[in-house]
Parts: sequence; structure tokens; C-alpha cells
Amino acid sequence: MPFISRTQRQTDYNLIPPSCPIVIDNGASYFRIGWAGESEPRIIFRNIVQRPRHKITGETVTIVGDHDPMLLKYFDCTRSGPRSAFDNDVVFQFEIMEYILDFAFDRLGADEAPINHPILITECACNPVHSRSKMAELLFETYGVPSIAFGVDAAFSYKYNQQLGICDRNGLAICSGFTTSHVIPFINGEPVYEACCRTNVGGYHVTDYLKQLLSLKYPHHMQRLTWEKVEDLKMEHCYITLDYASEVRLFQKGAKEAEEKTRCWQLPWTPTPVEEPPSEEEIARKTALKERQGQRLREMAEAKRSSKINELENELKGLEFLIQQLRHVNGNDIPSFLAETGYVSKQEIESAIVKVTQSLRKAKGEQDEIEEKPEISNSEKYTLIDIPDNMLTPEQVKEKKRQLFLKTTSEGRQRAKQKRFEEELERERRNKEDEQRRLENPELYMEQLLVKYKDLSEKVEQRKRLKTNGNNGNENVSGGVGRGERLNAAQKERMRLLTTAAFDRGKGEDTFGIKDEDWQLYKKMSKDNDDEDEGPNEDEAELARVASKLREIDPTFFPKSDASSSGTEPPRFRPLRKEDFQILIGVERFRCPEILFHPNLIGIEQAGLDEMAGVSIQRLQSKSQSLEDSNGLTNSILITGGSCLYPGMSERLEAGIRMIRPCGTPIRVLRASDAVLDAWLGAASFASTMHFQRQVFNKTDYYEKGEDWLRRYQLKYSF
Amino acid sequence: MGSIFKLSFFRLTAFVIVTAFEENSLNWFDSRFILMEQEVIESEMILPTNLSFKKIQMHEKYPKGQARGRHWKHLKQIIQAENYQNYPADEPNYVNIESPPSMHPRKQICDITGFEAPYSDPRTHLRYANTEVFKLIRSLPNEYVQRYLALRNAAVVLK
Repeated sequence: MPFISRTQRQTDYNLIPPSCPIVIDNGASYFRIGWAGESEPRIIFRNIVQRPRHKITGETVTIVGDHDPMLLKYFDCTRSGPRSAFDNDVVFQFEIMEYILDFAFDRLGADEAPINHPILITECACNPVHSRSKMAELLFETYGVPSIAFGVDAAFSYKYNQQLGICDRNGLAICSGFTTSHVIPFINGEPVYEACCRTNVGGYHVTDYLKQLLSLKYPHHMQRLTWEKVEDLKMEHCYITLDYASEVRLFQKGAKEAEEKTRCWQLPWTPTPVEEPPSEEEIARKTALKERQGQRLREMAEAKRSSKINELENELKGLEFLIQQLRHVNGNDIPSFLAETGYVSKQEIESAIVKVTQSLRKAKGEQDEIEEKPEISNSEKYTLIDIPDNMLTPEQVKEKKRQLFLKTTSEGRQRAKQKRFEEELERERRNKEDEQRRLENPELYMEQLLVKYKDLSEKVEQRKRLKTNGNNGNENVSGGVGRGERLNAAQKERMRLLTTAAFDRGKGEDTFGIKDEDWQLYKKMSKDNDDEDEGPNEDEAELARVASKLREIDPTFFPKSDASSSGTEPPRFRPLRKEDFQILIGVERFRCPEILFHPNLIGIEQAGLDEMAGVSIQRLQSKSQSLEDSNGLTNSILITGGSCLYPGMSERLEAGIRMIRPCGTPIRVLRASDAVLDAWLGAASFASTMHFQRQVFNKTDYYEKGEDWLRRYQLKYSF
Repeated sequence: MGSIFKLSFFRLTAFVIVTAFEENSLNWFDSRFILMEQEVIESEMILPTNLSFKKIQMHEKYPKGQARGRHWKHLKQIIQAENYQNYPADEPNYVNIESPPSMHPRKQICDITGFEAPYSDPRTHLRYANTEVFKLIRSLPNEYVQRYLALRNAAVVLK
């Protein structure tokens, strides 16, 4: 049952006499404020402050408490998360505290300065004086409060329940709050702080633990698992078991009760719409469209080509015309004549003509031209090769070398072409054989293929594992130094090379790098890595081929990759099913509240709730040296605080305390009437008594008596 | 005595400043609010900048431009400044009443599933309950390993 905030502005502030105290329960989770003597606090809200910037105006505003997340979309909340004034359970951020008090008083209806009512405010047990004095200063200076009293919330809760008759004058209060849990013994109605015990585990840690566990188990749903949602989940589903080990064994065995205890949270999910196979009309229409487009493209290409051909032909005609004109012109006038046209000499014009004719032929699509060339060049090349060296001039020797080189390369190219051709033939032959084999004896063929697939996949997996393990190992330990079994062969080699290079040199001196050959080391290392990478690729290619063949033949075959994918990522091949959007909470239901009893599950080296009770009683015994009182303590154990509302808490506590106390002591665990509000109710009923007036201190007291007095100030709870 | 005098003087001047400010700035703030969305104003979720019952407003106390992340003392510093060793040890104080480390045998549960875990992986130091979980652990990327260890406060923290 989630807590509901109440932040309606109250209207009767002016009607209440100035002698009526304001009662504040300043808790790490919720802030409750109201008038003394009433049966419930007027204003309740979460004790957090956010300072986002408004997106449009750009100013920074302050928002206290939790608000409708829909309204927060007008604000840029990226740099401002919710902040609390508390560190553990002590107030340390008084700027945030001031915002909170502002909001609280404003909603209570205060509108005239100053706040003219005495204030009773709760704090943690044995609050440091620094925090207390700063709080007093804040209230006196900024709000003009006449007088203040500080009290411990657990004590108020116990006194209230004592009034209700739930617990006795002597007893133990176990208060499990948001960030801490306290155990305070009460003797004659007064808390004994010397025997008090505090562990820094609370509801916040339980929620945080649950959130982390679920995020690790379902990484893709991390956005869904916000703090508030997880807190709701915790309040609804978590419980405390009597014996963790036996409960967990149920789940391990997969018993039916375990199935029932597992809760399933189905996230909203819409199945992807199944695509209907396109109807025949659709297909026909699409093909017609494609054809039309293809035709259009072809026409465009044709048009371009014909225009290009026209251009070239024109150019050719122009050039031929020029040459004809040249013949008519006199020899001396040639340069001046040509200067107009842009060509310098007759040869240039002729070479231009040749080029244009060539391109024209190409445009018209005559392929023979290209193929003629290599043959011509072949016959050209070998002219010089046969002639021995001493008969040639130096230039011709160079020419001969070039021809030789060209000949070898062209021969090499031909040989490669030949080889490729032969390989193709070979592959064709093999495929044909395969087909024959398949047709003859399908079953045997399939078996053989399956076996081959298994072998290959194992090899690939092993290599992959080696690689990832090597990578994992290297990431774990920053740098290259790792333990031998973790590195794969290439990295081992690299390590070896580096260390030998380091040790080869003289004692104490690092002369690596003076000689040039030293740097060849790195070439060796990278080559090793390359070799490693090539090998598996062949195997993987082979594997893929076999897999595809198998898939063709055998309808029931599924490639192994789907089955063995690890739980962290769903394979992208199959469509998302309903189950992918479910969050199962089974063991976490009772694993998370377990940290209240075993804080070392999250690394906090302190005692759990049941052990704390024992410690507290022990401390009391050493202080007061009276055993009868301590024995009677366990007769009335009150559990309060928001974090004690888990089902199964009382039984577990009883069992735990029974283990520690001597046999036969009466143990009675009592639940507070309202675990969450009791602190405020107790404070309110206390403030309405005459007793309260004598306990407050006002501003002059505060400044006269000084810090020392403030340190020793403790409220007296009984009359 | 001197401190009280100073304080009252300060209060007087602060009062004067407050009234002057209010007269000028009320309009300024009003106009800014008008630019905000209707539903935001209606829901009244924003804290008003000037509150009538306060003697010193927030924007005077913490002027804009100064580092907002004021150096408030954290709990550790507060405790250190308290100097609890100067006072008698049997007086209860914040540090005294803390619980001692647990005397019960440590509960060892599997980091991933929550079952009882008699074994632990020497490479990653995670606890596991059976061979399937072990396979899962060995296939986890390092980031997840560190996060599981961080749950137990056993992650490697490089400072």
C-alpha cells in the first residue's frame, strides 16, 4: 500500500491560538507536520527537493516533495535529481531543509511573519550537536519561532503505544526507518540511550538492493525499473521468511510452492503486426511498377548515349573539316590559321581525331577494340626480349627490361585466371557429387552433415571462448599482466616477447630500443595476432555453409547459435514474445528484506535486527547491573517504523531473539498500531500535555546557555 | 551578549531590506510566472520565491551567482568536529551507539540466484550455487561482474 502525500493548503492557520504547538516529524522518507492534539498530521510529503530549470523561461525553480510526473515535462530535470537534506539520518543540508520548511509552513497556511507557535521537531537518537544547533538557528532566525523542543521519533512512538496499552513501561523499541534501524530499551518509560543500538540499514537499502537485482537480471527493462516503481513492488510483494535456507531450497528444487510464490509482472507489450503475404494483385502491381521504372531508366540511358554519340560525331566532322582546310592552306600560314582554332600543329589535330574516333567507337559499344589491345601489345612486347643484351643500346636495354616485366605480370595474371577457372570447375564437380549422394541416400547424408556441423561448431565455440576469456581476463586486470591460463596463445606469445626483451639487457639498465632490430619485436607480435584471426574465419565460413545446407534439407534443424545464446541478450532473429516483457520476482521477494537481518549481504559489517536486540540488552545489563529488568524487557518488544511492515517480520524477530536470550524468557513481539504515523501521533499527544511547556527552550536560552547545554538537552518523556 | 546585539541589528536591517525588495520584486516575479504553463501554476507545485512569514528570504540568504552547492559538512565531518573523545566515553553519542559487527556466521548466498552458495569462483570472486550458474558467470561481461560484486560491496574500486 503506497503512501499518499497530502499537500492541500490548510486554511485555518489564523484560527489556531499561538499557544498551540506545531508538531513536525522530520523523517528521512516523509515529512509530516500538523497541530498538537490532532489525530493525524495535516501535511505529509516526501522529504526531497528538486531544482529543475523551466524549459521555456530558463529560470530555476524549486519543487518540494513528489509531484505528478506529467507536470515535470515542462522542466529540464537532467541536471537536478531529487536531493535529500539527510545523510544517513542526520540533517546536514540546511539549505534544502529550509526549502522543505518553507513549503511545509506555506501549506499549513502560514501567511504572517513570524511563525508564532512553539515547535516540536523530531530528530534521530543522539543527534550530533552541530546538526541540532543549526536546526535551532534556522528556526529561530529565519522563521521567528518562539520556542523549540527536540525529541526522538522512536521514543514518541513507544510512548504512544504505551498509552494505547500495547506495550509496557519496560520494553524494547525496534524502529526500522528509511536509512537506519534503532533498538532502544525503555526502563520506567524513559529511553536508555546508553544501551541504544543503531545499524545503518533501512528501507532505502532494501529498495536499492531490489532495484539492482532486477536491473541486472533484466537489463533491457532498466528504464521501467525506476526508484518509485521498485518501491511499490517492494511494498506489495516482499516478505520475510522464518528460515531463509529452507525457503530458498524450495525454489532451488523448483517445487510447486515456489511456482506459486513467484510473482510475474507483465509489462505492456503490443505484438508486432503480422505481415500478410501480399495478394496476387499486389505482386502484379509491384512488378509492373518495377518494370516501368526499369524501362524509364533504360530510356534515359539510351538518350544520354545517343546524345553523346552525336556530340562526338560532330566533333569528328569538325576536325576532319579542319584538316581538309589545312591542305588548302599554305605551309607558312599554318600557325596563324591554327591559332584561331586552338590547335598548335597538324599532329595535334590528328591525335585529337584519333581520340575522338576511339571514344565514338566505345560509345557505340564495340568491345572488340579493347580485346585487340592486349594481343597487339603482346606481340609488340616480345620483340626486344629475344635479342641478347650486348646488341642493344642502353635505352633499348631499359625497354627490354620493361617488356620482360610486363610479360611476366601478364603471364602471372593468365595463370591466376586459369587457376580460378579450374577451382570453379572443381567446386561444380563437388556440388554435383554432393547432390548425387544426397539423392541416393538422404538419411546417411544428413547424418554425416550433422556430425560435421557439430564438430565445426565445437571448434568455433572453443576458439570464441578462448578469445572472450582472454579478453575478459585482460579487462579485469588493467594492463597486460595476467595469469597464464587466461591468455590465449597470441597474447601469451606477446607477453613472452615483451618480457624476454625486458630481461635480455644488462642489469638495471633498459637499453631496449637503442638498436633498430629491437623494434622488429612489435612486428612479430602483431603478426601473431593476425594469424590467430584468420584461422577461425575459415571454420566459421565452413560452418555457415554446412548450416545452410542442413537448413535446406532438414526442416527440424535449428542452428545451435539460437540455443546457446546467453541470457543477457535475446537473439535478434526470433520475434519478441510476451515472455520477453515479463519480470519475474521469485527469490528476490524474500532475499531483499533479508538484509535487515543480515547486513553483510550488502557488505555492511554490522549486526542485524535480531542480534541488535541482544546487543542492546547486553549493554543495558552492563550499565545498570539489574537482571530482572532486562529479563522483563523482551516481554514487550515493539516494532515500529515504515520498514517493519513486511509480513513475517514478527515471527522472524521472535525466532531470532529466542536464539539469543536464555531459555524460557518470555518473548512477545508487538506491532505498533500505525507503524508509519505513530511517531507523529506520539509527538502530537506529547505536545498537547502540560509537560511539554516545561521542556521547550527559546531563543534567549539557546544563546545564553550555549552549545554544551544543548548537547545535554534531552526530552523527558514520562510524567 | 555581543552576539545577541549584533543579531538583532542584523534582523532590523534584514527586515528593511525585505520590505524594499518585496515592493520592487513582486511585479518582476509575477511577470515571470505568467510565462509558465497554466497547469503548472494551478498545481502550485513550485515553491514561491517570497514567503510572507520568513524574516530572510532564500534569495537573500543565498544570492545567485555564488556556488549553490554550498559546502555543508557531511556526516563524517560533523562527527569529526564533534570531538567525542573529549567527553566521557560512557555518555551516549552518535558514534557510541552504533552496532558492532555481526557475531553470527556469515550467510553465503549465490550472487545471481539467491540460493545457498557453498562455492565461489576464484577468477571473479562471485558466489554460485551450481554448475549452470557457474556457466552463466563465466559468460558474463566484466561490467556485470563488477555490478554483482558492488551489491556486496566487494567490487574493485580504483581510486
